[in-house]
Amino acid sequence: MRHHCGVSTSQKQTKQQRREAARQARLEAERAAALSARRKRRLSMLGAVLGLAAVLVVVAIVVSSGNKNDSSSRAGKVEKATGAIPGQTESREMLTGIPQQGMYLGNPKAPVRFVEFADLQCPFCREYALNTMPVLVQDYVRTGKMRMEFRDLAFIGKDSEKAGRWAAAAGQQGKLWNFSDIFYFNQGQENTGYVTDKFLAKIAKAAGVDPVKAKAYADTPAADQPRQVATALAQRYDVTSTPTFMVGRRGGGLAKVPAAPTDTNTLKAAIDGQLKGT
Amino acid sequence: MSSGRVDAGLRLAAIVLALVGLGVAAYLTYIHYEGIKPVCGLGGDCEKVQTSEWSKLAGVPVALLGLLGYVAILASLFVRGEGGLMAGALLSIAGFGFSAYLTYRELYSIDAICPWCVASAVIMTLLAIVTTVRLLRAPAAPSEEGVPYVG
Repeated sequence: MRHHCGVSTSQKQTKQQRREAARQARLEAERAAALSARRKRRLSMLGAVLGLAAVLVVVAIVVSSGNKNDSSSRAGKVEKATGAIPGQTESREMLTGIPQQGMYLGNPKAPVRFVEFADLQCPFCREYALNTMPVLVQDYVRTGKMRMEFRDLAFIGKDSEKAGRWAAAAGQQGKLWNFSDIFYFNQGQENTGYVTDKFLAKIAKAAGVDPVKAKAYADTPAADQPRQVATALAQRYDVTSTPTFMVGRRGGGLAKVPAAPTDTNTLKAAIDGQLKGT
Repeated sequence: MSSGRVDAGLRLAAIVLALVGLGVAAYLTYIHYEGIKPVCGLGGDCEKVQTSEWSKLAGVPVALLGLLGYVAILASLFVRGEGGLMAGALLSIAGFGFSAYLTYRELYSIDAICPWCVASAVIMTLLAIVTTVRLLRAPAAPSEEGVPYVG
């Protein structure tokens, strides 16, 4: 009896243990299944997230570069620019009939002055010159309200300095703006030595500048004068990068316009502000 | 270490990263609107980058976009469950992608590097990694898997 009883107890215990073990195994299996289900679900979530993120980034990039180099902009036309040299016709269209005097463009009595600190090698000066400047010339310079000043810092390198000397020579012949505009149309990679006498003579000819006279003038100390004046002016106004735009009243001081090179609206607003003071 | 504790650590790291990113973006947004020159070490040219045509997206300064992005990421870190995990990963990965594009523009189109922008890009990259790991590894809240919590 006693014996039987003992056996019965031990059997009960093992049963209980077995049940417990089965329960544990079941839970373990459930947990493993849940874990693998979770892993699968999370991976598909990551897939969805990656897809959506890619769409967002692509849209942002398209928006970011959407307004550039479309065929309606002057820069977009550069490949199919007309004239013997790219930009020749375009710059003539922009400038014909507007008085030029050295680095100045427009009516000497214009109430507003507009200064651009530039470097002929600087790609953003090119962006400005090809896209924004024609609008400003059309709206303000042609109408006699504003006079532009080309302040060439020529600080990017030897190619900039050489180009600057020729620009000064073009200015001496009253064609600086034609020269700089066509130069921008044909701008090359910075400091690769592409600014040779041959290259400059080609630009000069397209701008209506006598290349032989220009070369002779470019070799004189006078051709470096505009760069020195521009540099001093830049120091005075703490200008450290190109293009930097400044506006002011004729004969008065200048104020920086914090505008990106193709931000036509900000530039126009700053000019309008100066005109209102008339 | 339990996966719960690992995740708590990752979440804390993400919060710290988002706060640092928030600071950087706030500074860049501030100088953008004030038009002042950023403190720009390491031979960078922040002004050139900040005034470039890529400094705005559809008229909105990218610095402000970054600021809003960090705020949203920070908010997602306080949302429980898989919705919060997904939102955090989505924002960080999209932010990483756009930062990568902007850094490419700095190097190849603007020809100038702004250390603050690079700092933000690095922070976004780290956030993208942390939030992705969390999305894959974070333990689910009990209700999400229908399995009773077994101690």
